[in-house]
Amino acid sequence: MKINSDLCTGCGKCNVFCPVGAIFKDQGKNISVIDLEECVECGSCLRQAKCSVDAIYQQELAWPRSVRSIMSDPLTITKESGIAGRGTEEMKTNDVTGRFRYGYVGVGIEMGRPILGTYFSDVEKVAMAVASYGVEFETRNPLTSLMSDQSTGKFQDELLGEKVLSTIIEFTIPVEKMLGLLEVLKDVSEKIDTVFSLCFVSRLGDDEVIPISHILDEAGVWYAPNGKANVGLGRPLFIEKGELV
Amino acid sequence: MTHTLHRVGNAESLRRDIVFTYMPSNNINHVGSAPIIRRFLEMCRDLGAIKIGDTRKGNEYVQGSLENMLNNIEDRAVVEAVFDNEEKAIIALKALKEADLGLSLVVSGLFEQTRQCCSKAGLKMHTVNQSLGRWGRTDKLPDGAVLELNTMCGHGMVAVSLIEQAIEKVKARKWTPEKAAENLFKCCICGIINITRAAEIFKALTKENEKEND
Repeated sequence: MKINSDLCTGCGKCNVFCPVGAIFKDQGKNISVIDLEECVECGSCLRQAKCSVDAIYQQELAWPRSVRSIMSDPLTITKESGIAGRGTEEMKTNDVTGRFRYGYVGVGIEMGRPILGTYFSDVEKVAMAVASYGVEFETRNPLTSLMSDQSTGKFQDELLGEKVLSTIIEFTIPVEKMLGLLEVLKDVSEKIDTVFSLCFVSRLGDDEVIPISHILDEAGVWYAPNGKANVGLGRPLFIEKGELV
Repeated sequence: MTHTLHRVGNAESLRRDIVFTYMPSNNINHVGSAPIIRRFLEMCRDLGAIKIGDTRKGNEYVQGSLENMLNNIEDRAVVEAVFDNEEKAIIALKALKEADLGLSLVVSGLFEQTRQCCSKAGLKMHTVNQSLGRWGRTDKLPDGAVLELNTMCGHGMVAVSLIEQAIEKVKARKWTPEKAAENLFKCCICGIINITRAAEIFKALTKENEKEND
């Protein structure tokens, strides 16, 4: 995103809308300026500031900078998922897709969330760490398609200097590998210069007991008391082999 | 795998923060789903949701009006309804079960509360997504009210600077807590900020500020 310096009146009203604090006041020229290194092309300033002189404008985004908009603007519809946003249908439609089965854990590592954003160099560090643990990345996730080698978690080199508001590393593992994965994540979390928010998806049985909670409790791993629950209203329901209906 | 997940807050505050997400699945039940999605939103609105929103095309402010938002719903939309009241959420769940519209519904909130709400509506949790919190350079993050308000927007569109500005204006009595909450909501493209909860957070900050100044 850019601000036309000929039009900007320096009112500064747009500055507060930037989620990554990339808009600043050039005191010498008395105009607002966008730091293009920090800007993640989310579109928030253009949509929300409603600049009275239309000084904010979307410049043409060429590759690889265009990845910033793809991952940061919630209204972007990606071809891999077909839905708006940087994620996938994930557990939201698991009642009809059966994507997450009994005995497995779906994992979402949302790099850069909350607030800080992330460079792809940090995304690559985490992706390569979990790849070395033997995970297979979700192919419907737009992030996976940006990897130059999905077996190692390596990204295309030209992406490493690009910054996005957040992006999700997504895969599924057997429950037995869950605690080992947490060790890998603890180690790599000390090597990055941003944050990630971590989530685990589980298929519940008829008793509605979350099958991984007792494992996390015994290992002393914190998890939130709130979260998301698919309540099984989708049709046709996916039935796992051997499952009683 | 996130969106309405990772909302930060204490249990008392989160108890009034229940978000429904409704969507079809690609190549399974998405064809012709737009009118069904619209009916879901209208049912939730009529049964007491404080806000409804559309992730695919944007909230009521992005689209100009609530009517535009409802008229523009597409087959692959992902939509949301926010409740600040457990009883109303239960009534909506019962109505949705009865209506049997056929698309997937996700309820976000305290798991124990969701389990009880589902039980009263004759539903069961099928699949859950748990948050294991924030990892890495958490020392760079704000805490308290700023983080609670920021994490109500799953796409991180509500800037810390905007939240801080709103806090200052509420403390200075230039904005009411409700106006501050609505202003944050405008930035949340999907419309999942709980304006009741956000206003309560602003009110609590005002009380703290008054105590400090006494």
